[in-house]
Amino acid sequence: MHSNHQHQPEPSVMKKCKCFFDAFNSRMSFWSQCVFILIFALILFGPITNLLIWTVAETWYFPNALPSQWGMKYWYQVFNPYSDVSGSLLTSIFIAVLTVIVCLLVSVPAGYALSKHSMPFRVFWMLLFLIPQAFPNLTVYMNIARLFYDVGLNGTIVGVVIVHSVHGLMFSVWICVAAFASTDPMLERASRNLGAGPIYTFFHIVLPQAAPGIIASCIFVFLESLDEFTGTFFVGAPDITTLPLLLYTASMEGNYQIASITALILLVPSILFMLLINRFMKPEMLAKIGK
Amino acid sequence: MLAKTKFAVLATLSIAPLMNAAHAETVLNVASAGGQNMVDYVKTYLAPKFEEMHPDVKVNVVGTGPGDAGSHKIYEKLSAQKGANKATWDIDVAVVHQKMGGEMVTEDLLAKYRNDIETGKLVSRSSAENALGTNVSGYVMPMFHSQTAIAYNSAFIKNPPKSYDELVTWTEKNPKAFGYNGIKNGMSGVSFVTGWIYAYGSDAKTLSSTPYNKANEANWSKAFKELKEFNKNITFTPGNAGTLDMLNRGEIFMGPVWVDMFYSWKDQGKIPPTMKLSLIAPGMPGQPMYYVTPTKAAHPELAREFIALATSPEVQAEGIVKRFNWYPGIDADHVKSQLDAATWKKLFAEITPSDLSKYGKSFPIAPYFNDIKEGYEQQVSN
Amino acid sequence: MQNKTTHSLWLVAPAAIMVAIFFLYPLFFSLYSAVTLEDGSLTLAHLTKAFSLYSNDILFTIAIVLASVVVLAILSITISAMIVLSPFKSLVSLLGLLYRLPLFIPFIVTAQMMRTFLAKNGLMNNAFVASGMMTPMDTISFLGWTGIIITFVWKQLAFSTLLLSGAMAALDQNQIRAAQNLGASRVRILFHIMLPQVFPTLGVALVLSTVTMMSVLSVPLMIGTGTPTMMSADMAFRVNSYGDYNVANALGLVSYLICSGLAWFYLRQSLKDKGATA
Repeated sequence: MHSNHQHQPEPSVMKKCKCFFDAFNSRMSFWSQCVFILIFALILFGPITNLLIWTVAETWYFPNALPSQWGMKYWYQVFNPYSDVSGSLLTSIFIAVLTVIVCLLVSVPAGYALSKHSMPFRVFWMLLFLIPQAFPNLTVYMNIARLFYDVGLNGTIVGVVIVHSVHGLMFSVWICVAAFASTDPMLERASRNLGAGPIYTFFHIVLPQAAPGIIASCIFVFLESLDEFTGTFFVGAPDITTLPLLLYTASMEGNYQIASITALILLVPSILFMLLINRFMKPEMLAKIGK
Repeated sequence: MLAKTKFAVLATLSIAPLMNAAHAETVLNVASAGGQNMVDYVKTYLAPKFEEMHPDVKVNVVGTGPGDAGSHKIYEKLSAQKGANKATWDIDVAVVHQKMGGEMVTEDLLAKYRNDIETGKLVSRSSAENALGTNVSGYVMPMFHSQTAIAYNSAFIKNPPKSYDELVTWTEKNPKAFGYNGIKNGMSGVSFVTGWIYAYGSDAKTLSSTPYNKANEANWSKAFKELKEFNKNITFTPGNAGTLDMLNRGEIFMGPVWVDMFYSWKDQGKIPPTMKLSLIAPGMPGQPMYYVTPTKAAHPELAREFIALATSPEVQAEGIVKRFNWYPGIDADHVKSQLDAATWKKLFAEITPSDLSKYGKSFPIAPYFNDIKEGYEQQVSN
Repeated sequence: MQNKTTHSLWLVAPAAIMVAIFFLYPLFFSLYSAVTLEDGSLTLAHLTKAFSLYSNDILFTIAIVLASVVVLAILSITISAMIVLSPFKSLVSLLGLLYRLPLFIPFIVTAQMMRTFLAKNGLMNNAFVASGMMTPMDTISFLGWTGIIITFVWKQLAFSTLLLSGAMAALDQNQIRAAQNLGASRVRILFHIMLPQVFPTLGVALVLSTVTMMSVLSVPLMIGTGTPTMMSADMAFRVNSYGDYNVANALGLVSYLICSGLAWFYLRQSLKDKGATA
């Protein structure tokens, strides 16, 4: 994702503008962009500051503008000896990573095929992958649970991963389609003309071009799986406990402290995952940029 | 598909050691609907007590979310296992709301266990026999009884309304200072609306203890119309906890709340000490939470022992009344004798026993109840 | 050609089979109940009921989602264009870090955060009062439709910007540089060279955001207090309170039709564009 910094217009282009007016213009745009970023940062950080304050607010009565009593009481409550926070967090991450892998395995080929406009019933397929997110799952999970009880998938990691993957497919397929659609068909054709096989061409020419989009889709699938409650409850509980399962009631009920602490805990694996995947994909992306 | 199966195998292999460790001892699965206060009670008070008595048993508690939605998830999970003809089901004990308790009995999901346990004899109130018109006698044990009431900030309000009539006048004088959560997000709002119908539609007795008769609903539309007017002077809150939170943040100064949540929040310092309760005439509904055990629980014996412990006079006195200030589920006499007078009195500090018996109502039977909610959707919010 | 078609069908098959077995098949049971009576005969009664009770909510949902999508489009284009085109590298890297933050905060937490942030005595108004820009008397609550839109945009902006800026960065830089050398302004480059090329990605980001916003339950419950409310809240209420799967599914059908209508519009548009440039 950091690749975008590599493509700034060369400073020399800027230097060529010698006239005073242009310099003035550029300074103006610098300051206006600064102001934009400042406002943007305030809008972003306002609610996040609110979240951070709530994690250490013990009492916050009206009309106090800030909490009247600060403390870690609710941290102790979350990490109490009766609930295994670290264990369920690990389960959550394990499930999320597996979900990403499953989604990738099926969406990369699907996305590649669907990016071609020659694909028959393309619109039909695309709309098909919207269904798992667009329909209210509430009415479906009961039937999924029944199906899974029938085949013995209930209460297994596999069952939960399947439910999360079906859910995540919308992100991975749609985004992969967009990623492959934006690749340059000329390069692909050239590679084939030069005698490269279709599989070699796909992995060395097409896939690297689509990599940024595919990475983005991984992040969304990962996050989606990490936060999921309802499907996990129907298919996984009580044998499998993920972090959302552990803290769902408190968050749903509007216990701000516990919800905010949960968010902070979930933040750690999310950011690590994003950094890792960015690092991991870097060489390929650099290779692509070199072309 | 092939790749997926491969992964399934891999995943099973890699998780196998983890799973084995978890299954080394007997696990009693308890699913609890309701607020976080209830989940915490089961998890941090009841479960350790039970594990102490049964060292080889581990109690696993899952909270399914507040309100009917939480109970509904338990119902659907059991229903799915029934549909799949499973020999044993994966929930041993469940804590559910009154309405879903009744429906689960109708659907044959629950075991009739009350006569199997000692404490079964300690319950005699009607809500343990009848859940919104469904006969649940023998299938349920009340965990505690809760009541809705109007909470207000006594630092700002010296003379709180004593009845729905006074409340209407009060909101006209203090627009937007009263708040409730409509009917779609939490039962305290539903309860307030039900109380409104008791006051201006049909009385509580007719709706909660006589057979369904549509003719009784004749003057409801007038009541709904007045409610629509009333709604213009109030603030809507997000949920049961949302009402309490807005009271805390001074965005409203009065609103309907569950008494049990009110005490938990006050105890934790999440609402100011100046908050008080008032149960207004002609009354607002309350309901018990039920302990139930599914027909095909994996550990039926342990489940019964767990419920017996939870409904014993000692635990009801120590856990429900003393620790949380909730109204006991089993008959009061058995609990009162376990406690000193001061603790018992504290239970009625906000709402007097006479108010409670005069104005504490039950919810109407299911068909009336649905008509109230649908009437609200059609005539008030549409 | 025939051969190629079967090839691509094989490529889509695993994903499609997964959706079919693990979602469509279970969905079929519940959808069946939306258009049939107890005895199995076809009926429109549930759909009619859904419309008679919730027509206002359906319109409200469409309005909220459309408004959010428009704001999202404008903001994410602005931000990604700034990231890609701005000559000030330090600013860009700061912005690149900033905009991703909301990505990691789950909807349910975002909803609660915004609920206490936007409220009448929330942190935002308190900050304004403390800084002297406002008196306590002037504070207003943003809970309601404005709050829902603000929350949706705040949360989804990271999603659409991440996709869009990725697509913009992947564009052929020579083309942009050439245009710059020819004296084209940044705005012109954005609208005439970059946007047409990233249109598919923008469309995907907006379609997926729409679907997400329509299915989120916590935001309307926590921020959109009172009436009208969004369809997701109605569906949950129908199931949890009445055990009425029929009307809930009928509403679900309406919700899916809205989403797929938008998706179809986008897919058609992108086909047309492809035809024009090819």
